[in-house]
Amino acid sequence: MKMFRKHLGNLSRVSTQLQRNVVQLSTNAEASPIEETAAASVNEFRTAVANPGEHSALHVAKFYTIPVEQKKQIFTGGGLPKQYEQQIKTFTEPCLMVRSPALELLHYIKNADLTKPVVRYVLYGDNGVGKTLTMAHVLHYGAINDFLLVHVPWAPNWMKRPKEASNASQEGMLDLPFDAAAWLVHFKTQNAKLLQQLQLKTNKEYVWSKRESTPAGSSLIELVEHGIARIKYATDTTVALISELKQLSTAGQCKIMVAIDGFNAFFHPETRIFSDNKQRVTPDRITLTQPFLDITNYDWTNGVCILSVDKIAMTEGYMDSYMPRYLLGTQGFEHIDPFVPIHVENYTDKEFHSYINYYLDRHWINKTPQGFEEQLKFMSNKNPYTLMQLVKAL
Amino acid sequence: MSKTMALRVFGLNLVKTNRSLLQNACKATALPAGQTVAEASYATEVTVHASPAAIQKQKVSKAMKAYLKRATEHDEFMKTQHLEFQIGKRHLANMMGADAETFTQEDIDEAISYLFPSGLYDPKARPAMKTPEEVFPARKAAEFDETGRPFHSMFYTGKPNFFQLLHEIVEETNKLYELEERMLRRGIKPDENQKLEIAGFQVLPKDQLETQLVESIADIEYTNFSNSMDRLIASPYAYKSKAFIERYLKPLMDQSKQLEVPKPKIDEQGRQYITTYECLRKTARADVTVRMPGTGKISINGQDVSYFEDENSREQLLFPLNYSELLGKVDVEANVEGGGPSGQSGAIRWGIAMCLRSFVDQEMIESMRLAGLLTRDYRRRERKKFGQEGARRKYTWKKR
Repeated sequence: MKMFRKHLGNLSRVSTQLQRNVVQLSTNAEASPIEETAAASVNEFRTAVANPGEHSALHVAKFYTIPVEQKKQIFTGGGLPKQYEQQIKTFTEPCLMVRSPALELLHYIKNADLTKPVVRYVLYGDNGVGKTLTMAHVLHYGAINDFLLVHVPWAPNWMKRPKEASNASQEGMLDLPFDAAAWLVHFKTQNAKLLQQLQLKTNKEYVWSKRESTPAGSSLIELVEHGIARIKYATDTTVALISELKQLSTAGQCKIMVAIDGFNAFFHPETRIFSDNKQRVTPDRITLTQPFLDITNYDWTNGVCILSVDKIAMTEGYMDSYMPRYLLGTQGFEHIDPFVPIHVENYTDKEFHSYINYYLDRHWINKTPQGFEEQLKFMSNKNPYTLMQLVKAL
Repeated sequence: MSKTMALRVFGLNLVKTNRSLLQNACKATALPAGQTVAEASYATEVTVHASPAAIQKQKVSKAMKAYLKRATEHDEFMKTQHLEFQIGKRHLANMMGADAETFTQEDIDEAISYLFPSGLYDPKARPAMKTPEEVFPARKAAEFDETGRPFHSMFYTGKPNFFQLLHEIVEETNKLYELEERMLRRGIKPDENQKLEIAGFQVLPKDQLETQLVESIADIEYTNFSNSMDRLIASPYAYKSKAFIERYLKPLMDQSKQLEVPKPKIDEQGRQYITTYECLRKTARADVTVRMPGTGKISINGQDVSYFEDENSREQLLFPLNYSELLGKVDVEANVEGGGPSGQSGAIRWGIAMCLRSFVDQEMIESMRLAGLLTRDYRRRERKKFGQEGARRKYTWKKR
């Protein structure tokens, strides 16, 4: 009990410190809208610092709120797990917890020399530890700090449940036109503002058919919009767009953040897509795979590459371990070697306590018999996803 | 009938002698040996002396004649049985290379289980050799004299011993009531120190009472008996007739066994620890070590609690820790194999509970016992039956 009180004391001290900081900040910014809400929303498990760039070890295990319009911009086309999205809806606020893997990753990105070839960061960890949400946190940072986002919310979707597959112009390859178009829409919603700002132009002419072509020097938005309008050419547009982006960023016109969740799906031994002769095809025969493998190469600069490898991106029989070497296989491992591995783990005691407080604050946990926190800790093994499932019923 | 098989080896053929007696024998062997002593008051070794000459002149009733005949027959039968048992015992002792004079019943049991190993499930069905007194139940002695006049005043109730017992109980109760009355008048209160302790005892169950009385009783009669016993015990002066009451009480269970809680050992880090081996549930086998003080670390086959994926199994492990309020204060290490998740978690749960006895007080142990944490779960998978879809389910009935 004494220890607990001490712990609480520490927390409150930190929060008062924080409040002071925030007040200073807001006075500097002069009458920012944060000011009114800051005092109310800052407590031992919340922070008013909504800019991921400013998050530090001081904010570990605290929740920050993503502004609604930014959340709309970044995560409309996916990027948050479905169940988390539902929770956000229930709690009426898009909150993310600041956790050490995200801070580590942000630290690397902030201190990276962008003139060097891109560094690949690989998030790995057991099921439900928060790889996707770590990525979401970093994506938020990227969106705020003028990175063009090349974000694939969940790559296995293309391999496991594509909308439609059709033969590509190239012999033996398969197109996923609808999925490619959906991705283009996602790209457009994420980057519309920035594309307008940067006025990026294509380097060469793209001829789609006898009558259709995109001339050199047209803006990237035009290219994307063409892909969306002419779904037949969506895949080719994606290929073109990504090669253009690589060239533009190498030329220093923009910086790019590549984020691919479930990257190991590109190296899975087989997909659920059938070719004409009723055979399952391998991922390398899907045209949509090519540009994303291309952009994860290290032959370009002025960007960062965040990949996550996940057990559930695989199918049964390939889910024995969550280590990157196992999930990617030889080919995939060699493709992204060398990379920076970032291990995402279960909650620490502090994070766990903070999350329970958050649930209590949201009135999501109503029954609080004596020792319920200890019991939940035991039952969930401090695994975020398991905790979310357990708490549903309380 | 493996029993007969065992006995036949030694030249005894029970089946030939009396089939009905043999059937009785099967019932009687289940009783503890101590019971035979208590029976003495109602049933005797029937040893009927030849009736004196004076009576012989008198008219002897037909019932008495028949009884005398039966009694002598039984007596002789028991004598031969005794003799054969002694011979059998000597043979057995010879075979085992032991001294026949000092060969005890325990040695006999050991020898039989060695010479006739049996895989039969029910211990009653396995071969055995016991003294004839134990094998053949006691029978009632003569209840009437040579002229056919019953000895017992309640003979015509059909269950004289039982109703006699009821009478005795009521007599005792009335005695105590009178005593209470007298004491009240004198203003003396019953001695609290001498109060009868009946916790851990129960009134003799029906089947045991029946063998003691050598009479079969109806359910309602047994209820009458237990009610009047309760009335007697409830009296504040019940300790005055302690000896009588104790004849009809039975200890609930062997409490000394439960009280033996192992002392924790000390490991190299100076922590107390205790290991329970052979934690069984279904087909799972586990051994569990609990260390105190700890931080609530769980290790199952080297993994943490995520070894169990489902919520139920984790809850099983949580229960004893939470119940004894030691969650987060002890470390648990378990090695488990065989069976599925529920069996494995059940085995570990039992192991944890057994280990935790060493770290909690007596009251908590009793409470844990009542919660069923210290009870082994002996349930096993029931076999599928032919002609049925499963253990119990029948195939869908179809008219044609």
